[in-house]
Amino acid sequence: MKTLVLGLGNPILSDDSVGFRVAQALKGRFDEERVTVMETSLAGLSLLDLLLGYDRAIIIDSTQTGGRVGEVYRLNAKDFDTTRHAASPHDVNLATALELGKRLGLAVPKEIIIFAIEVQDVTTFSESLTPMVEQAIPQVVEMVLEEMGS
Amino acid sequence: MKKITIDPITRLEGHGRIEIFLDDEGNVANAYLQVPELRGFEKFCEGRPVEEMPRITPRICGVCPSAHHMASAKATDAVYHVDPPSAAKKLRELYYCAHMCHSHIAHFYALAAPDFVLGPTSDPAQRNILGVIAKVGLEVGGEVIKHRAYAQDIQAVIGGKATHSVCGLPGGMSRAITEEERADFEEKAKSMVEFAKFSLKLFDDVVLANKEYLDIITGPVYTMQSYYMGLVDANNKVNFYDGDIRVVDPEGKEVSKFKPADYLEYIGEHTEPWSYLKFPFLKKVGWKGLVEGKESGVYRVAPLARLNVADGMATPLAQEAYERMYQTLGGKPVHATLATHWARLVELMYAAERLLELCQDKEVTDPNVRTIPTATPDEGVGVVEAPRGTLFHHYQTDERGIIKKVNLIVATGNNHAAICMSIKKAAQGLIKAGNVVSEGLLNMVEMAFRAYDPCLACATHSLPGQMPLEVIIYDTKGNIVERLSRNLS
Repeated sequence: MKTLVLGLGNPILSDDSVGFRVAQALKGRFDEERVTVMETSLAGLSLLDLLLGYDRAIIIDSTQTGGRVGEVYRLNAKDFDTTRHAASPHDVNLATALELGKRLGLAVPKEIIIFAIEVQDVTTFSESLTPMVEQAIPQVVEMVLEEMGS
Repeated sequence: MKKITIDPITRLEGHGRIEIFLDDEGNVANAYLQVPELRGFEKFCEGRPVEEMPRITPRICGVCPSAHHMASAKATDAVYHVDPPSAAKKLRELYYCAHMCHSHIAHFYALAAPDFVLGPTSDPAQRNILGVIAKVGLEVGGEVIKHRAYAQDIQAVIGGKATHSVCGLPGGMSRAITEEERADFEEKAKSMVEFAKFSLKLFDDVVLANKEYLDIITGPVYTMQSYYMGLVDANNKVNFYDGDIRVVDPEGKEVSKFKPADYLEYIGEHTEPWSYLKFPFLKKVGWKGLVEGKESGVYRVAPLARLNVADGMATPLAQEAYERMYQTLGGKPVHATLATHWARLVELMYAAERLLELCQDKEVTDPNVRTIPTATPDEGVGVVEAPRGTLFHHYQTDERGIIKKVNLIVATGNNHAAICMSIKKAAQGLIKAGNVVSEGLLNMVEMAFRAYDPCLACATHSLPGQMPLEVIIYDTKGNIVERLSRNLS
């Protein structure tokens, strides 16, 4: 089984880089034959391209839902089904991209787990995280390791 | 007064909002696009070596990183007063044509086509790329994915990385391509030309063959008289990578043609207290507010603008498509905002043909792709046509090449006034006293905005990774009367 561990975000936009930071912390922690750890700023159709060929994908990203900053949510792709609108001015969302991949018979991962970290600031250019998000990193790393072990 | 706001449903920061104000009679008085502010970019760049800018600026926006990379590389050439070798320029243009193909394919099939293949008032749950392939065929979806992957492969090989490229340096490129790579690109480019032809044919069959759609495109709701701006080559043909900036008036007459480095002489930036995003305008005409016509300095960029400013396309099939578009729409310039989608496909044809031309040019494998800078760095401007319009990068450095000042005018900035005006006009035409604002109507307003393919604060990729919109209606006192959104439930 091939697994992709994918950190999403923007490395120079404060808390939006948390996915990158978690991915970086996870590098070297797995057998490289079976697990690829990667960071990307891609979304939509381009994200679909990256996911193809893996049996399982674990995605780490920031989110803002109004919850407590630093909180980590474990989600799966189905949780995004309800936002399947082409409202983005640029691209499709994850659920639509995955569904497209399935309908086209592409090698979409059978299992997609998303760890989303509640963040505070995604509008200031900076390479630093806000303190509560920085503190959440070890927990997210543990959660991913646990997920991989199970 | 009532106020309608199209707002992100998830309340994510970093996303846009459309506000529409109604008068006492329930007609549209005003409409604005509100863009959240991304802070501290200039400060982030200050103190860094200028040659890092081609790797930093693509991070501003995850959507057109290659456009920033190229504009930035060109600006660093200018800062170091260095002219890259011919092979480097060709390689950059080849890479950039691949980027245009990649971006235009996504926009047309994922964002424009749903409105036309399924209809602007269709159920939003179906009005997406999945609905499109359900209607036009699964194999079309496969072709979309395949050709995007081709374009991406070409960018990845030249750029060193699939997205955030590392190839552009002051004076040229980091490495040349091999004959084997060139031959592979050539095959992909041939396929791209066929796919562009197919896409134009699909537009013909689905959109142009439907009188109702053609009426929507050319109707008054989506028509706006403005100036247009875009890069042209020495023969006044559209060019994405290089050239002079040409401006035409609402009658299509050239009013300015200038070197990118002189942009500040021609472009002013108006500010409004309600928007952090500035409103660029033509200095020679002046800022007259959010009004259309020849007396107003509002100009537009993006595919339709590029075609409007040019005398034609530099490749045969694109030229044919260009002529057909203007013949069908009643001559130049075309002011129908939704014709931008057609213009985008004409450009896809050009990008594919130009890609093939460059792949067949043996000079692209010349190993001499860098002129080492020797002059003292100071100041420079780099301009390319991003998929969504003219993109300016302007840097000032000290004598060591350390950034002192950065100024960017991005495509959506150029179009900011026009986007607000197009939304207002669409809203005025569609929202009349007493009528209920429906989901379909909301989408018709959004279509005005979507045509520009605006790049807002798109640097954030926070989940759910999209930019949902919502409409809120305000009364004359600023109270929310109604909130229209695509609810998650």
